[in-house]
Amino acid sequence: MANLKIVFFASLRETMKCDELEFAVDAALTVRQLKELLAEQLQQPLLLEEKIKAAIDFDFARDDDLINPERVREVAFFPPVTGG
Amino acid sequence: MIAVQEQDFSVQELYESLCVAHKTGAVAMFVGRVRDFSDDPAQSSFVLEHYPGMTEHNLEKIVSEAKRRWTLLDVIVVHRVGKLSVNDQIVFVGVSSAHRAEAFAACDFIMDYLKSRAAFWKKEITPEKEEWVEAKTSDEESLKRWK
Repeated sequence: MANLKIVFFASLRETMKCDELEFAVDAALTVRQLKELLAEQLQQPLLLEEKIKAAIDFDFARDDDLINPERVREVAFFPPVTGG
Repeated sequence: MIAVQEQDFSVQELYESLCVAHKTGAVAMFVGRVRDFSDDPAQSSFVLEHYPGMTEHNLEKIVSEAKRRWTLLDVIVVHRVGKLSVNDQIVFVGVSSAHRAEAFAACDFIMDYLKSRAAFWKKEITPEKEEWVEAKTSDEESLKRWK
């Protein structure tokens, strides 16, 4: 069992009323699987919307990218970026 | 140099630091500014949020890719965060090289990728409402130019 740090940004952070949390996982899982677990546990279906993006340790990630809890420190979820 | 900061920047100072004596033949620079987005610009502002660590990492990757594609002498990216008002400067991208074609192309490339691949989010604030800016599909589309 390992603890992943999960962080949220922008509109998603406000909707979820949560900046970050620790989430215990016991095996590697995909970004999509993590989203589904979090959406269920936090009762936040917004996380499952297609537009919501993810990052694993600061790199943009896709739904089928694997999160190995032994190696990954932080997973982020956020809406599409709007800088510049 | 890559900087994510609250304070304003001086284009003149950044321009001077881009120039490499005897080598720089071209400098291309882009400055993004806050324009009116409401009927009441004096009372309007926006807040730029970022993801500390990831934003800098994204920008470093974008600049590295630009340096891989073109022969550049120096690159500076400065992006402000926090509360900004109409007429404020938001972002500076500057590129120096021996010839103009590389400088123009690299500056354009970096801005295109910054818009879609750097972790910043804008929220517009007016007396009536606060609203997160939606990403434009045209920004994502413009990346196809560089594939």
